[in-house]
This record gives sequence, structure tokens and C-alpha cells, in this order.
Amino acid sequence: MSLLRIRAVPNRYTAWTLSWFLFAAGTLAYFYAAQQRHHENPDDRVMPTVSQMFTAFEDAALKPAEEEEVQEGAASQSLWQRMGNSMLWKDTKATGRRFLISVALLFPGVLLGLHMAMFPYIGSFFLRFVQFFDKIVALSLLPILFIAFGIDELSKIMLIVIGVTPTIILDTFNLSKSVPHEQIVKAFTLGAGEFTIAYRIVLKQIFPRVLNSIRLNLKAVMLFLFAGEMIASTDGLAYRIALLRRHMGMDTILPYVLWVALLLFLVDLGMSTLNRTLHPWFQEA
Amino acid sequence: MAAAAIRIENVEVDYAAGRGTMRRILNGINLEIASGEFVSIVGQTGCGKSTLLRLILAEEAPTRGRVLVGGRERSQPDRSCGYVPQRYSLFPDKTVLGNVTFGLEVTAGGFERWRRKKEFREEALRYLRHTGLNEADAQKYPHQLSGGMQQRVAIAQALILHPPILLMDEAFSALDPGTRAGMQRLIKELWRESGTTIVFVTHNTREAVCLSTRIVALAKNSTGERGSSVALDIPVTHADFDSDHEEITTLVQRVEAATMPSTDASKLDTSKYVLL
Repeated sequence: MSLLRIRAVPNRYTAWTLSWFLFAAGTLAYFYAAQQRHHENPDDRVMPTVSQMFTAFEDAALKPAEEEEVQEGAASQSLWQRMGNSMLWKDTKATGRRFLISVALLFPGVLLGLHMAMFPYIGSFFLRFVQFFDKIVALSLLPILFIAFGIDELSKIMLIVIGVTPTIILDTFNLSKSVPHEQIVKAFTLGAGEFTIAYRIVLKQIFPRVLNSIRLNLKAVMLFLFAGEMIASTDGLAYRIALLRRHMGMDTILPYVLWVALLLFLVDLGMSTLNRTLHPWFQEA
Repeated sequence: MAAAAIRIENVEVDYAAGRGTMRRILNGINLEIASGEFVSIVGQTGCGKSTLLRLILAEEAPTRGRVLVGGRERSQPDRSCGYVPQRYSLFPDKTVLGNVTFGLEVTAGGFERWRRKKEFREEALRYLRHTGLNEADAQKYPHQLSGGMQQRVAIAQALILHPPILLMDEAFSALDPGTRAGMQRLIKELWRESGTTIVFVTHNTREAVCLSTRIVALAKNSTGERGSSVALDIPVTHADFDSDHEEITTLVQRVEAATMPSTDASKLDTSKYVLL
């Protein structure tokens, strides 16, 4: 039996095992290498062991950041209270807030893309500009943004908006244009007006694809957010990673990286589930 | 003769053919379709059948001449013409019921739309039953239906608004022969009941002969201006599905002869054809 057959059908258990194989192999390879390094040098900080990472993550999840003052009676606080005051929770909250504001700000871009596709005058007005804007490397604007908006929240959010919104606008534009012309003509013959067609026919049809497009751009949103936080911030997950880098705090950095990946994965899963629930017709189409 | 539902006057349509040249698709077409007629437009690929339909629909404007529907020129499609295209006739995000009630809802608008929801639902179900679908089908999404069922829904969706004219563009051409025959009977039955004027574009001559009261045959005119089409009017007074087989065959041959690309309008027997 050849493994490289196009029409091969792996059974359920084989497929499941194969899908986890690289995770297992990567984890084992890391811990083996870490063990070896610690065998040679017990003070090695480049590749922390499992127990070191666990301890560091536990500290991050239950204790405040070092730079914060320890509150009175902290020792008597409940587990939830300790987690609420912890470094990990505060960093996650700060990054999450910026992330959610940025994602919310993508939706006006969706509406602009829709109107550009539906109304030729609006399309003519914006299209060339957005296409050009899309080619500007957002990170190259970072110094300008810091000068223009300062190093507060606004500049970080503007970086994300400038970096991702043009892509979302153009994607929505193309998706709107791909709705069969017959449906628009049909809607006119059924008495629908311009905006009814734009919102009730075209937007409703493309919305699942728009959500997928936003899902695909979540990593880009996070990338720009991390760039902003690493350069100018006093809190957030990327700020913490950049800070710990100075102290070679790999035992905290690695769990933080995995935590960010897990959060993004959960957001992606949530959006995917929401998409399937809201649009049962789309998944099966 | 009943009042003209559609009047096409001296219509010419030119398309850009690249490098600054224009290609004439339709040349000096004059056509009058009376209320309640069932007119089929036939012809070979590229002769301008669908262009003629789009002109009536007001989806595009003629280069010269004018198209009047209900006595007026229009700048874009509206409720005066129902439309059933070959594909993409249904909105995929709406259930069958949602597709059929859509026209009623947008026409009622705002609060009325919610107040009369039950009434619209009953009306839609009545039309769906009439086109051979049941209540269970009404809850399905278009992708869960066969091609024939989708076209039944598309017809119900268009007819529920009682349009004075129904335009059908190759509406049955993607269907298998069995389903197609069923759809042909259904549309003829609905036409007889509703009295709606139907303009039916098809490349299937037999279908046109069996369905219509009149056929407009478009042929690329080798003697005409830059290969544009001429239109020939062929009355079909006796054809029906139950008509004599030989009679239908003769008619089909006549129509097919009229749509041949080499048709020279000046050599046609004018006792059989009327040059439009």
C-alpha cells in the first residue's frame, strides 16, 4: 500500500494519530534537548525544563508582576482574586482589549468594501486609493504614528487599522463583486431597492466569507499589535515578552508564546463556530 | 389584438469588440408583444437572444431605438417584469419560503412586513404547492433542492408578485429531459391560468414550438450589417404537447431553417416568415 495515493482514505484513528504526531514529536524533541542541556549545565536558561516552565507559568498566573506593589493581605486572597491580580491576567486583559477594539474597527472597512462594490461612484472614488494604501508597509508608518498620535493606545490601534483594514476592504469588495449578477437583477424585479439589495442580498450572502477573511487576518492583527506593544507599552503580552527577553526569562516567554497561540486558536474556533451557527446554509453550500 | 405589453422600436445594440471597433449584435429590431402572449425567442449561440431579453428587462439599454414595457421606457429592472434566469435564480442564504416571500416583504416594507408575515407565508405556501412543492420543501435551503425544484421555486418567487410580464432566460436548459418536460407543462399551465405575458428564451426549438403562441427566430444575417442578427416572426397557433407529431416536426424544421447563420432575409418565403 502506497502512502502517496491521491485516492487514499486513512481510517479515523490513523488520521487522528497522524494529526497529533508532529505535536508529540516536537514536544519530545524539545524536552530531550532541554534535558541534555541541563545535564551539561544545570543553570541553562535557554531551554527551560517542564518543571521550570510550569513554575514560571504558575507564578505568572497567580502572582502580580514584579514591578507592582504587593497588596496587603495578598496571601489570604482566594484563588480567583489572586488570578485577577496576576501578571498573566493583567497582560491578557490589556492585549485583549486592544485586540477586540482593533477587530471591531475592521467592520466599518467591511461596509466600505461593500459600498465600493455596489455603487460604482463610491468604487471609483475609493478603489485606487485603497489599493495603493494596501501596499504601504504598515510597520514603516510606526514612527510616524508615534509622532502623530503619541505612544498611547491610539497609535497601536491605528497601526492595526492601517495594516489590516485595506486588505479587509479589498477582500469585501471582491466578494461583493462575485455575487452573481442574476441575483441582483432578480432582486430588482422583486421590488427591492438599492440598499435592500446591498444589505439583504449581497452583505448577507458574503458575510460568512467576510468572517472567514477576518479569521485569516487575526494573526496579522496580532502581529501589528505585538509590534506596537513591544516598542511602546507598559502592559500587554508582547510587552511582557519583550521585558523578559532582557532577563533571558525563557521559562516565562515560552508559556506566554503558547498562551497567545492558544488564545488566538480559541478566538478562531469561536468565530468559526459562530459562523456555522449563524449561517447554516453556508457550510453545506 | 390586445394592447402591446412590450414594444421594441428600431433597436440596435453595439458592443465594443476591442481595439476601438464595435460589433453590432442586433440590427433594427422591431417587435411588439401583446398582453397574454407566450413568445419564445430562439436562435443559435451568439445571435443575441439573451441581449434582446436583457433589453426588455432594462438590464441594459439599446445603442439606438427604444424598448417600451407597459408603455414606458425604464432605466433599470423593476417589478413590471418577473425574471427567471438559467442559474443563480435563488438567494442561497434564504430558505425556500424566505425566497418566495422576499418580494412580498420588500414591497410591503417596514412594519407591514412583520404584521403580514403569516399572510405572506400562507400565500407563499400556496404558490409552492401550485408548483409541486410541499411544506417540508419550504424549510429547505436552495442547495438542498434539485435543479428542477430550484426552478419551480424561482417561478413561484417571480409569479407571487403577479408581474404582467415574465421573462425566462434558458430557464430549463440545465435540467435533465424528464424534469424539463415536467417544467414545460407547469409553465404552460401557469401561463394559461395567470394570463401573464411570457417571453421565453431558449436554444431548444422543439421546446419553443411546444410552448409558445409565437416564435421570434433570431438569425445571424450574412447580408446584414457586420454580421448582426435579423429577427423572424413565426406564429405558432396549433402547436401543443398533444399536437400531431408531424406538425411539430414541420414547425421545428421551419424555425431551425430560419435560425441558420446563412439566412438571407431577402430570400425567405414571406408567406411563412414575417421579417421584424
